[in-house]
Amino acid sequence: MSTVRTADKFLAILLRDLRTAARYRTGFAISVAGTLLELAAFYYLSRAIGPGFRPEGVGYFPFVLVGTGLYTFMLMAMRSFVDCVQDAQQGGTMEVLMNCPTPAPVVVMLSAASALLGNSVQFVLYVGTGLLLFGAPLPAANWTGGLVMFGLSLLIAIALGMIAAALQIAVQKGSAVLWVFGSGAWFLTGTLFPIEALPKPLQFVAACIPLTHALSAMRMALLKGASFASLMPEINALILFAAALLPFGLAAFSFCLRRARLQGTLAFY
Amino acid sequence: MDTICIESVSKIFRHRPALFGWLGREKQGETRALVEISLHVPAGNALALLGPNGSGKTTLLKLISTMLLPDAGRVTVGGEDTRTGASAIRRRVAFAITAERSFFPRLSAQENLDFFAALDNVPRQRRADRIPALLEETGLREHADTLVMKFSSGMCQRLGIARALVKQPSVILFDEPTRSLDPASAEEFWKLVQRFRDRGATIVVATHNFEEASALADSIALLQAGHLADYRDLNRTSTRELRSWYLDVTGQLDALPVAAGGWQ
Repeated sequence: MSTVRTADKFLAILLRDLRTAARYRTGFAISVAGTLLELAAFYYLSRAIGPGFRPEGVGYFPFVLVGTGLYTFMLMAMRSFVDCVQDAQQGGTMEVLMNCPTPAPVVVMLSAASALLGNSVQFVLYVGTGLLLFGAPLPAANWTGGLVMFGLSLLIAIALGMIAAALQIAVQKGSAVLWVFGSGAWFLTGTLFPIEALPKPLQFVAACIPLTHALSAMRMALLKGASFASLMPEINALILFAAALLPFGLAAFSFCLRRARLQGTLAFY
Repeated sequence: MDTICIESVSKIFRHRPALFGWLGREKQGETRALVEISLHVPAGNALALLGPNGSGKTTLLKLISTMLLPDAGRVTVGGEDTRTGASAIRRRVAFAITAERSFFPRLSAQENLDFFAALDNVPRQRRADRIPALLEETGLREHADTLVMKFSSGMCQRLGIARALVKQPSVILFDEPTRSLDPASAEEFWKLVQRFRDRGATIVVATHNFEEASALADSIALLQAGHLADYRDLNRTSTRELRSWYLDVTGQLDALPVAAGGWQ
């Protein structure tokens, strides 16, 4: 498939999503209000906890700001894969989309990419608004390191998203699987508090979740300005996770899609 | 042009039991939607599938389109097997899905067609030429910028037909295409199909309308409870014979039980 053709398809999907979003007029305002309320809640939580609590050597508000920002970004990225399958199943477009000459994984990836663009903007706005409104300092941030971690986190999110989309096709409950994963990741990966607070066995489980490494490295890069040499262990871990999960995600999606075509459950929801 | 071969194809849908059976009754076992069906549609010909609800017409169309895969036997389009050459088949085959829910409701008719045509690999310039022409041909030109959620069933039906034709497929599958159309629109639709036929497209149409089927098709396959009840080559049968045959066969079929299930 040529790059021009793929770009044309991506543009068509992006336009579809933008037009649909623009025609749900109140949706945007509601999501902005939700984000501001969440930021305010974390700010006052950090004030209530007080300046004495400095997880990983940084103030609690910047700690939780980067943590929840990246956690939300990754969860929403995974969710966008499930959503594009679920919306197609519930909306009735699934059979048409999965039966066009564009390979199904490409349709799902491009649809998710369109949503991911929005999520990335939201991540930047979330962290940026937090910094501006509540003055969370990033004195010596390693922005390039942060960008690398962001890219690797994105690869992990794509791989996990493909697996979640496969589960949505197979059991029509991908969002429930994502909810279980999200709930576990919420407290296991150090989003709200350092994983050192967890019992040892749970710390081991946390180390097996790629999100833990992404959060840790992103905080190191943005809040402590850690060098690439210090980030290398986490970068290597994330590359290993991505190398294993991406092919697995694609294979799982193709397998579940073929199974659905055999069982006649493609459009079930 | 592409020939469709259906060789001893069977399709079974299994009903999986619920987790807690005592919470409600649910059909168990399986539905044999198609049983060893064999059919051949030469390139450029039109086949009409006739039969009551649940007889397997839509399942057969879905098998040709690769939307479903057969449990036994094989389906080939232009020599490509649906199991191994699905991508190649999808480039040539268009299944006119006309359900209202198969569109994006908050996009206009034109936007919907443009979106699906992009995924159908139709280049931008050709889309710009073809889409207004097809909206004109399907009588939707005045509604090009209307959101699909404001469309009636008949308008969605016409839009679904337009969507199938944008990529100029060599094989077109229609499932009860005139179901929601008024007589004038139905007549326009058959003229449109005829134009595609004249250009050499292979057509398979599932319908309940014997008159429409006999006017368009080269052959008629009569399905009942997933079995091929009868098959007629219309080029070798006079209209009078055909009508008599159809009345005779459907009279017999009426006495048979309707196919179990309702899988489409």
